[in-house]
Amino acid sequence: MTRRELAAVLGSVTSIASVRAQEPPASQPEDPNAAAKEQLGKNSETLSKFDLPMSTEPAFLFKA
Amino acid sequence: MAAEFTDDIFFATIGELNARLKSKEFSAVELVRVFAQRLEQLGPRYNALALPLTDVAIRRAADVDKELKRERYRGALQGIPFGAKDLLSYAGHPTTWGARPYAAQVFDSSATVIDKLEKTGAVLVGKLAMVELAGGGGYRSAAASMFGPGLNPWDRTRWSGGSSSGSGSAVAAGLVPFAIGSETSGSILTPAAFCGITGLRPTYGLVSRHGAMALSWTMDKLGPMCRSAEDCGIVLATIAGADSNDPGSAHKSFYYTPQYYRASKELRIGYAPVDFAEWAQPAMRPAFEQALAAIRETGAQLIETKLPDLPYGALTSTIISAEGSSVFEPLIKSGKVDELADPKQIAGLKAGLEISAHDYLKAMRIRTIVQQKIRRLFADVDVLLAPSRFGPAPKISEPLDKPANDATPKDLGLSALIPAGNLAGLPALSLPCGFADGLPVAIQIVGPAFSENQLLALGKDFQTRTDWHRKRPTVA
Repeated sequence: MTRRELAAVLGSVTSIASVRAQEPPASQPEDPNAAAKEQLGKNSETLSKFDLPMSTEPAFLFKA
Repeated sequence: MAAEFTDDIFFATIGELNARLKSKEFSAVELVRVFAQRLEQLGPRYNALALPLTDVAIRRAADVDKELKRERYRGALQGIPFGAKDLLSYAGHPTTWGARPYAAQVFDSSATVIDKLEKTGAVLVGKLAMVELAGGGGYRSAAASMFGPGLNPWDRTRWSGGSSSGSGSAVAAGLVPFAIGSETSGSILTPAAFCGITGLRPTYGLVSRHGAMALSWTMDKLGPMCRSAEDCGIVLATIAGADSNDPGSAHKSFYYTPQYYRASKELRIGYAPVDFAEWAQPAMRPAFEQALAAIRETGAQLIETKLPDLPYGALTSTIISAEGSSVFEPLIKSGKVDELADPKQIAGLKAGLEISAHDYLKAMRIRTIVQQKIRRLFADVDVLLAPSRFGPAPKISEPLDKPANDATPKDLGLSALIPAGNLAGLPALSLPCGFADGLPVAIQIVGPAFSENQLLALGKDFQTRTDWHRKRPTVA
């Protein structure tokens, strides 16, 4: 994520919405469905750049 | 002679109201009636009211009066009116989750937090408006609610914040002495900051979510929104605790005992100057400077720090979208999702169903790293301090995804503290610290898991040195 993208995220005023708003409104596609999918794609790309040790487990725990 | 109810009562703290009840200055019925009527009359002015409960509340208050007459005291909340975000169930009454498709929804049992509050004698006077589905799909408009945009008591052309919109504005306008809100990522801190009240986001798992709408099983929290840190402590002590009905329960108790925690002068407080000097909008900076000065006056040691560089935005978005869309899969697949008010919310929920297991698991694994790295940060500092929001409440006509500040400082500082703190499940306290152009400004303090008493001790100290939490908007 670039600093500009983060600025859009952090500077925006919504709560949950804020973490989705990683793109200034002007550059968003007009179709909200396309914009939502585009956002998911960007999130996926950001996460894919992050290397993890094989030993890292997800942050939830199954209890038997 | 009938008691006279003035603003001094509508804006009183829980402790002050409790003392007046005990001294029989007025009865619980009188207090509850006047608050319930005020909420019913003025709540719509701020789009804050989801459901008035005046008649039920007065009957409950009569029971409280009988107990008080027998000198059966249950604690500071006995006879105190309160409001609850409409994401909490209340047996036999509508619970809309702020969303038109659920307008007629009624549960046959009450949320654990409401049960707990009622057992101590607190009286629910109304359900409070919220952003539809707590904004789970993302939203672009303040009007993303079946109740309309939450209006800010300091300026009704401005938003009250979300998603606990009604909780924020009802407390700020003196319509209830305190309210319960919920936070998945910012939904208590944001309305608390915009409305100039004190809001506490508890550690994940400390407060039972049984009976609350689920948005994100691994991130949802319930917490108090009040007039002061002291009030937050009193309410938290009542609503916290183990609950086998909540799979996320930490099975921990909470006793409000700030006096046994470290004095402010012994604390190492981590902060990032760039947050206050560059990330914050210029109009907000003088208030933040005053807040930092007040914190320094406590004798606390301020240490420069910053968050680990991690993709907080993508993590929060992926986790909430994946979990939220799974929760609302029946709504999405039925097509009723299209009845929601905000097109972005509709699209976000639909798209969330397409998040791959790989992306969700990757996000949850990186979240483990977030937890580990932030835990290490707390080896060097006891508490983190940052602006609650970088800009004031936006105009309700503005798109909410407009950046609050055109600046994009190179140094990230603690600017991602809201998503980071929520990912790590950490407690946070938002404290009013001034005004910018007539709108409230606030700081947040964040501590390690289950450090609520330490945060409240610092918050209480801050509020003995400042009076921002005592400021009142003009309420017609």
